[in-house]
Amino acid sequence: MNASFDPKNPRVKKAFQKKSLNSPAILVLSIILFVGLLAGGIVLLIMKIALGWLFIGLSAWPIMLVFWIKNTLNEIPVKQSDQFTDLISEELLLLLKPQIKSTDLLNILPKTPSGIFILARFQLNVDFLNFITPLLPEDTTPIYEKALNIREKTNSEEITGATLVVAVIENLPDYQQILNGLKLDLNDLYQGINWYNYLHGIVKDAKKPVRSGGIARDLAFGFTPTLQHFAVNLSERYTGSRYKIQQAENYEIIGKMIDAFSHPGHQNVALIGSYGSGRSTIVNSFAETLMNAEAKVPANLKFRQIYALDAPSLISTAKDQSELEYLMIKIFNEIYSAKNIILCLDNAHLFFEEGPGSIDISNSLTPVLEGGKIRIILIMDDQKFLEISNKNPMLTNTLNKIMVNPSNQEDTIKILMDQVPYFEHQKKVIYTYKSLLEAYKLSKQYIHDMEMPGKAKLLLEASASYAENGLVTESSVQTAVEKSYGVKVKVATESEDREKLLNLEALIHERMIDQKEAVATVANALRRAGAGVKNQNRPIGTFLFLGPTGVGKTELAKTLSEVYFNGEDHIIRLDMNEFVSSSDVNRLIQSGENEAESLTASVSKKPFSVILLDEIEKAHPSVLTTLLQVLDEGVLRDEKNREISFRDSIIIATSNAGANEIRDKIANGIDINTVKEEIIEKLISTGEFKPEFLNRFDEVCLFKPLSKEDLLAILDLIIASTNKTLESQKISVKLTPEAKQLLIEKGYDPKMGARPMRRIVQKTVENTVASAILSGAIGSGSVLEITPENLEI
Amino acid sequence: MAIADIFLWWYAAGWRTFIKKNRNAISSITDFFSMSSLVRTLFKPYRQISAETASANSSLDLRFHMFLDRLVSRFIGFCSRLFLLLAGSVIIIIGGIFSLILILLWPFIPLLPIVGIVLTIMGVTF
Repeated sequence: MNASFDPKNPRVKKAFQKKSLNSPAILVLSIILFVGLLAGGIVLLIMKIALGWLFIGLSAWPIMLVFWIKNTLNEIPVKQSDQFTDLISEELLLLLKPQIKSTDLLNILPKTPSGIFILARFQLNVDFLNFITPLLPEDTTPIYEKALNIREKTNSEEITGATLVVAVIENLPDYQQILNGLKLDLNDLYQGINWYNYLHGIVKDAKKPVRSGGIARDLAFGFTPTLQHFAVNLSERYTGSRYKIQQAENYEIIGKMIDAFSHPGHQNVALIGSYGSGRSTIVNSFAETLMNAEAKVPANLKFRQIYALDAPSLISTAKDQSELEYLMIKIFNEIYSAKNIILCLDNAHLFFEEGPGSIDISNSLTPVLEGGKIRIILIMDDQKFLEISNKNPMLTNTLNKIMVNPSNQEDTIKILMDQVPYFEHQKKVIYTYKSLLEAYKLSKQYIHDMEMPGKAKLLLEASASYAENGLVTESSVQTAVEKSYGVKVKVATESEDREKLLNLEALIHERMIDQKEAVATVANALRRAGAGVKNQNRPIGTFLFLGPTGVGKTELAKTLSEVYFNGEDHIIRLDMNEFVSSSDVNRLIQSGENEAESLTASVSKKPFSVILLDEIEKAHPSVLTTLLQVLDEGVLRDEKNREISFRDSIIIATSNAGANEIRDKIANGIDINTVKEEIIEKLISTGEFKPEFLNRFDEVCLFKPLSKEDLLAILDLIIASTNKTLESQKISVKLTPEAKQLLIEKGYDPKMGARPMRRIVQKTVENTVASAILSGAIGSGSVLEITPENLEI
Repeated sequence: MAIADIFLWWYAAGWRTFIKKNRNAISSITDFFSMSSLVRTLFKPYRQISAETASANSSLDLRFHMFLDRLVSRFIGFCSRLFLLLAGSVIIIIGGIFSLILILLWPFIPLLPIVGIVLTIMGVTF
């Protein structure tokens, strides 16, 4: 293995010849010279001047030059050897020098297309290059050695600028740490090299001609006017062009389809899979395969054309079932006569069931499928297929079923890499590698009514709208999810967000008095979520608030919604005393179409919310059992079996259970947190809660009864709230310390918490203010001072 | 040095490349005219326009009419395909002859200036 650059290598010479000679100017000049000499020679000969022969003879040389340039300098292929210079790409042949230093290499690499590709896709900017420059060894030999090594590992044909960028990084001391800082690993960079090689290969292949049968290909096949009217010819776009790239993971399924259609038997294929799993892509790839003369396809399938029936148009055109059947039979007759058509029924269930937009014509369709005279591809949802199977077992027995499973992460990323050039062309953006990974991760987490790779593609496409400076990054994908699904997925990076999280307790205590332990527990859960260290497969936090009534359990949930979830409307409140029978489970999981206010419907609309389950102890055990899965895995299936994610919500259950116990302990001067376990054990032993239910909560928070001092602070909050209401009238209320003391004396009830205080303020202060306003005693700009005498208690 | 490279290439890889390119060109023309498909389907009905195949209990008269109908369709199909087949064949033959001449002339092209000098010295004119 020779890991040095040899400037005398013939490939280097060729690269420079190409650079100087393979230019349009030289080619045009050569052709002009050829034409000039030839024409001049002929003219001279016509004029009886023998010198014309010399002119004609000399015209051979410029055309020889053109031939040579076009055939030898168009491409400089790599040589199969272990010499570095034999294996580097053309771009590097021109840029590398023998005694080059590593620092010079860093200046060269961003000038190569492949170098630019990898730097842009991994967001390795100038600052990064400046940072690593002093860390590199001066000699380039270890970098070249590593590049040879990487070429082998990635099965690359040549060493490109991208390979050298990765080799440079791998030569850094502590490169793992540097990559960790970039949230990358070596495998990601190798994937980047493969991505470049793949796209580069597509560009090279695009120049090769595709043979699709020629002008007389369809002469032996019949006309299909009705089919043309109601169907789209999928094969047309693949005639004579490499439009769609074949995906490796489709080869197996396409092989099965070729098998089914080329052998005797039922001439149909049912592609069964969920929406988004790539069933239509497979049909398109199949169409492309059949239209390619070079593809290994049996003669009885070659150049057969796939027509996708536009079912909605057909169903809407037909007045009734009989007309639809008539049209379908007409189409089948045309297909039978034409001999070169494969019919594709997307959403095939529309023809097997009655409903809005669908008509059951299985009676006429089944014999066609059984007869095997017409080739048909049916695309069906797995659930719909099961339903149809139950209804019509004979039909399903006649189908050649091929299951299309959702792709795994590796395949999805490959498919996204395949798809990205189209998105980039359409949206005029560039996608980073991490945006692809993020699209996979977040679509898996948040898009539930679609499968991979469809949902990742969908999210990636949507992310283009949030590109920053033309670059679709990890953050663009996160923003797309946040905007589309109303959830918070970004780790708090904005200083405002960080400040909010760090000072969450203070912000909550602006509305909440005391209950410091409960507030701290909830704030910690939110900080974990904000820093991205929470378990992704569970809700942000699940808490059970225990304590007497009126001590702030519900208030804390509301405050959280206000402070962290951007408003009190981000609270989904269920009074569990409305869920006291086992049949109420249905009300929890009803789909949004039937019950807009069910738990699943509310969460699917607002996944980023506080879910408040008030008075949980009153719910029926079946309801609690249903909620176990939510608390544990953060998901619940609605009645239509759709998975609803609760992973972006905080679930707070409140209960008065154990209130007396808490009050007694406090009355005896015991710190309730020291007897928390004892109280929980008692709740279990008395059967108020089952241990498996309590265990599902992240934390059980005990709320202590309010003291008179707490009540004073609460009174201030209530008065502040009253003043806020009066703000529009420019009137404010002020209570003298004596009035406050009087209200506290009258409003204090350790059993009922702050609620009596709110009532007494309403009865006294607000009534006094109302009378003063109506009697004209106070007007705009006035401050009403309330003394014990004003209060009518 | 490029001139030496050109001459070396011309008599080795260049000639091979030129033969290959000509072969590909002929193959492209063959594909363009769908020659193999035309030969395979020479007697098929034109665009499958023909009557249904007669059933066992069809009358003799009906069978005869159907047969005639198919015969006409096959004849039209045969004529149209034959026309294309002939047109394609002519172009392929012309292209083939032209390619062959060029392939044979290929080694003499670099010598053309010398031929030109000789003819000039000899004073050959029309």
